[in-house]
Amino acid sequence: MAMALEGVRVLDASGPIGHYAGRMLADLGADVIKVEPPDGDPARRWAPLLPDVAEPESGLQFLLLNANKRGVTLDVTQPRGRELYLELVKSADIVIDSLQLAEATELRLTSDDLTAVKPDLIHCSITGFGLTGPYANWAYSDIVGCAMSGTMQLAGVQEGPPEQLPDMQGFHSASIQATAGIMGALIYHQATGEGQVVEVSMQEAMSISQETAMMQADILGTNRERGVPMRGLDIPGLGLHEAADGHVVLVASGLAGSGFPGLVGLMAETGDAQDLTEEPYTTFIAEKMNTNFLMVALADPEQAAEVQDVMSHLDQVVRDFCRKQPKLYLYEEGQKRRVLVGMVSTPQDILNSPQLEGRNWFTDLEDSGRGVTLRYPGPQWQLAATPSTLRRPAPLLGEHNNEVLAEIGIDQTTLSALASEGVTA
Amino acid sequence: MTTNGSGANGSNPRLLEGLKFLDLTWYGAGPIATRTIAGMGAEVVRVETEKRPDGLRVAPPRPVDSAGYNVSGYYNNFNTDKKSVTIDLTTERGHELGIELVQWADMMMTNFTPRAIRQIGMDWETVSKANPGIIAMYQPMQGMSGPHTEYGGFGAILGTVCGINGLAGSEGNPPVGVGTNYTDYVVNPIHAVTGLLAALYHKRRTGEGQMIDMSQLESSVAALAGPLFAQVNGAGTYVREGNHVKYAAPHGAYQVADGETSEGESRPDRWLAIGCTTDEHWRSLAAAAGHPEWADDPRFATLADRKANEDALDALVAGWARDRDGDSLQASLQAAGVPAGLVLNATEVLADEQMVDREYFRYLEHPEAGLRAQDGSGFKLSKTPAEPMRHSPLLGEHTYEIATEILGLTPEEIGDLVAEQVLF
Repeated sequence: MAMALEGVRVLDASGPIGHYAGRMLADLGADVIKVEPPDGDPARRWAPLLPDVAEPESGLQFLLLNANKRGVTLDVTQPRGRELYLELVKSADIVIDSLQLAEATELRLTSDDLTAVKPDLIHCSITGFGLTGPYANWAYSDIVGCAMSGTMQLAGVQEGPPEQLPDMQGFHSASIQATAGIMGALIYHQATGEGQVVEVSMQEAMSISQETAMMQADILGTNRERGVPMRGLDIPGLGLHEAADGHVVLVASGLAGSGFPGLVGLMAETGDAQDLTEEPYTTFIAEKMNTNFLMVALADPEQAAEVQDVMSHLDQVVRDFCRKQPKLYLYEEGQKRRVLVGMVSTPQDILNSPQLEGRNWFTDLEDSGRGVTLRYPGPQWQLAATPSTLRRPAPLLGEHNNEVLAEIGIDQTTLSALASEGVTA
Repeated sequence: MTTNGSGANGSNPRLLEGLKFLDLTWYGAGPIATRTIAGMGAEVVRVETEKRPDGLRVAPPRPVDSAGYNVSGYYNNFNTDKKSVTIDLTTERGHELGIELVQWADMMMTNFTPRAIRQIGMDWETVSKANPGIIAMYQPMQGMSGPHTEYGGFGAILGTVCGINGLAGSEGNPPVGVGTNYTDYVVNPIHAVTGLLAALYHKRRTGEGQMIDMSQLESSVAALAGPLFAQVNGAGTYVREGNHVKYAAPHGAYQVADGETSEGESRPDRWLAIGCTTDEHWRSLAAAAGHPEWADDPRFATLADRKANEDALDALVAGWARDRDGDSLQASLQAAGVPAGLVLNATEVLADEQMVDREYFRYLEHPEAGLRAQDGSGFKLSKTPAEPMRHSPLLGEHTYEIATEILGLTPEEIGDLVAEQVLF
């Protein structure tokens, strides 16, 4: 089947902040060449590590985010290395890098330098703070992006510190934004033949993930705090509940789905509704157990006092019920009855997900270079006519040096000399 | 500060100029995707109804003493540059008009459940029959097939199912998540933009349209897949470890002295995030802290040593940071090349020197909500900027324009349809 980006060549010289971007373009069919320094990208050595496989081939985050790419090693700080890099740039449609302004200037690998050899290049720069402004050269790691974008301020419990988002969301947000920008630039190139610069700042890339916090600060001048639900409502059937083997989240008091009556129906089937199928609870549930009513009622101390006892009882019955059942039961049986329930999945739950299995989402791929077969997560979308595919594992360090350099006309003798001079090894 | 579209996009070419896009999405994950497409210059027509409005239209925050469908900052930040037409697609005549919009469009997107998509008659079979070359993205929570395909829910449900609650926070604390419906705002919508544009690229090469089946669950798990990829491939069971990571130390948020707001009020609860991914970062931190002896301490010599003695390491850094001024610490660590940044609140992000210098936030005048900050584009394009230029549409603001110019209706026909509650 056709691939959407068939024939598009990408040079991915980025550090860990940009790995995911190159991976997505590769999944869509682009020929992506990972360019690393001779001692390898730092993420090659980042734990968690693949057991029984030696450094620098065991970093699992590297393996995940660099699958589908070929790999070359090149020391661009040496004149000959830089020259070869520019030769590769000439052969590419898109270059992704994560050089900060000062580094790019020092190495003479700015956008201007790149477009001097390839005028219609799409050059994507992904860094912590962008290529302009007072922080352009600031040091960053993933957690710094979480912090300075405002998203970390919202995560965590009140009595604890603000918390990072899991699994490098600063880096991933930057890569996700970059990929969309690159696709836009590619569409423009297709129409006009012109390249351009796509520039991403991790701080900016994550900002919209502040949810309503930015708008609240702008409109009302107040700030959201961590550990406080957005609407500040503490009512039955809403929020985190303990299940027999973990947790579920219920959103059974809104107007969506079958609401609280649906939840009572589910509880009644196993005889766990207690007295909620009797008066005065049936009327209360039918008329008052929705966020629209309760938001108004709870704002008025007199009304709030009136409903508080009933609500405490409902809450108790729901919590008793949830504690008796496994989370998958609550999730599947609730959702079948249009009660909005979500189970708090662990990584193992996701690996066992009936839905992901039903859609054949995971793929096993042999990695002969490392002597293993790994299970990979599937794509972000399924384009029916041009599906994403998983074709090869992440490159071993320098695996495709000869292959890729031969493609730009470097002969065997020169290749050996480059290696012994430390340009490629 | 840039107001009213006089900014970056001004005289520049728009990269999706002339592209027609039908937007049948609501809440966050869909509308932020179509907002991005609109920012690139496409004509995005959003079909809404007053009978079942986008829930964000009535959600906070909104200006004090304001009410109605047009003042929510939540909605207004996610729908810039679009047009709004109010059509009840569940009526027969409304559905016919909807199909005319499908025929008008080059691309469309919906994030309703498969059940709701069938109810409004916008399933792929119907849509592709009406417009064989169309690109249509379906982005329900669980995708268009599989045993859970009809499951419903918003970000709060998806966040739990996709694993973010199970990954974030510390062992011992309940899995409360990250305080937001996180994957609604970048992960799902901006993934969607890439999928849409990849299909457009293919269409312009081959003439072939297609259906895109995008499961928000799969898209979310894809961006959170590190821990499960490690676990399934033999690296051990994932343990929630708060602000720690396996590849860096010290790594965390360290409380600093209370600060002051720009209005001179106390700013408590200030924290500095530090993430040392190399030994050099650590040695530089020790030097900048005035404690070069830390770098010589064998307990902290290598990453493996620092991970093995992380409690002691954290205590050292935390004790040093605790009563010091956060801005000074940030400046001295950055001067030493150590990755460090203050945990900013939204007010501080809006005023942040870097964000202001780069004009990330765009200030647009809205007829009912006033001059408001909007998130800018998450990527800067040098030739074809994709920044928001026009305020989000009022509910039904463009009904007359679209009814006459796209649907070709006469004023009399429009009057009849309004009376029949097909148009509003």
